[in-house]
Amino acid sequence: MMRPGPVLTVGGIAVIAFILAPLVVIVGASFTTTSYIVFPPVGFTLDWYAKLLVRRDFYSSFWDSLIVALACTAIAVPAGALAAIGLHRASPATRVSLQSFIMSPLVLPTIITGVALLQFYQMVDFHFPVMGLILGHVIITIPYALRSVGAGLMGLDPALEEAAASLGATPLRILLRVLLPNLAPALLVSVIFVFIISFDQVTVSIFLSGADVMPLPIRIYSYIEFSLDPMVAAISTVLIVFAYVLVWVLERSFGLNRAFGSSH
Amino acid sequence: VLLIYLFFLVAPYLVLFRMSFNEFSSLKLYVPAFTFANYATVLAEPYYLGLLARTFLVGVLVAVVTLVMGLALAVYIASRGPVTKSLLMGAVLSPLLINLVVRTYAWLILLGDQGVINQWLMGWGVTGSPLPINNNLFAVVIGLTHITLPLMVLSIVSVIETLPPNIIEAAESLGASRARIFRKVFIPQVMPGIAAGSLLVFCYTISAFITPQMLGGGRVSTLSTVIYEKFTFSLNWPVGSALVFVLLAANLAAMTLHRRIFKS
Repeated sequence: MMRPGPVLTVGGIAVIAFILAPLVVIVGASFTTTSYIVFPPVGFTLDWYAKLLVRRDFYSSFWDSLIVALACTAIAVPAGALAAIGLHRASPATRVSLQSFIMSPLVLPTIITGVALLQFYQMVDFHFPVMGLILGHVIITIPYALRSVGAGLMGLDPALEEAAASLGATPLRILLRVLLPNLAPALLVSVIFVFIISFDQVTVSIFLSGADVMPLPIRIYSYIEFSLDPMVAAISTVLIVFAYVLVWVLERSFGLNRAFGSSH
Repeated sequence: VLLIYLFFLVAPYLVLFRMSFNEFSSLKLYVPAFTFANYATVLAEPYYLGLLARTFLVGVLVAVVTLVMGLALAVYIASRGPVTKSLLMGAVLSPLLINLVVRTYAWLILLGDQGVINQWLMGWGVTGSPLPINNNLFAVVIGLTHITLPLMVLSIVSVIETLPPNIIEAAESLGASRARIFRKVFIPQVMPGIAAGSLLVFCYTISAFITPQMLGGGRVSTLSTVIYEKFTFSLNWPVGSALVFVLLAANLAAMTLHRRIFKS
């Protein structure tokens, strides 16, 4: 292993600081008593959090995000899981070509997917903004579900299915009683990832949201265009804390490298 | 799944592709036609060529900066014990779960004219007037570096982990200097990780939208911000679509290169 000399050690620590410092500034600034952003904060107040609670628009955006993310998870995870099981049984040639087709939204820039969906909805007169947004999210999250479940299937002993079949289980019964219980960890990982990616999605959402539905990140984005007051720091802090709780849960239950390894 | 894809991925892309051959009309948005004029505009006019050049410049700059920082950090992380290592990886990966808008907002409040960094510098009397570090290329590069750094670190660390642990010692015992080991042994060995990470960062950067939009302050236009503008404000869909496919081509080229490197 390459042992870092003093230069690399200092460099490494500086880079860690570069990664974390902006987050520390946000969290700190959210407690300031001034009406503008300062760091370190002046005094200590929870006023900005209290202001947040009475903001109708942020509140409804939070629900929009939650509903879209839940619906997206409910559609993308089963779809991705079924696709993974189907691909697992397909012949190698079909598997390779179909898999790269289904994975394509990962490679295609999300801004293009957003524009394309916007144009398509206008073209076919599709006027269900919430549904449109959910389907946009489904398209970009299916690859993640497919990948985690696919990785789970790889780790499964093929003899399990054969044993069940030779004991006379029907294909449906094999799916429900043998495959699904064994895939539970992989399914859980994909549920978590699909939910987060949908909840955090910005680029596709910005094209598909409007007066009827505006997810939280887009709400924050448009608020920032007018004002940089500490209230945004407060909502950001909430999202940062949420992310760290999640990192901690993932680390505890799967190990970080495994969880991220299966998604990137 | 295939049906969802055909409807909500393939069809929208086709609609957009067809649009790129239509003629722009200020009265009716567009006139159906089959012309390469939009591509000619995009690939010949100095404004669009400058745009392409700037987008690629940002991509290359961010890739180089993340490479230097990522390499230092990856070497440092790989040299630590398992506990510190997983803590550090957590610190590096956690920003991936934090919303893009929030992460960009952090840089907005750090780099602004009345931002935290300028407050400090002016408070200490280092500089009399705010440094020009916002609403320009510098801010965009810093913001994108912060966002893509985890991808780079992840790519490099995963390669370092697979290296045989004793090659460095072998070189040392043969009397090679530290600098020489780094250049002749270490770098060639982690080259696949470096290449993969750089291309990943490049792809992400040239299609990034939110960060250039927020940190560029309308003064740093890239392919993505102009695409957004063409579709939402000036409503020149045909030229916008042509831009989309130029961006897509650049991305696919980089991804093909990525795949080729990974295979060898």
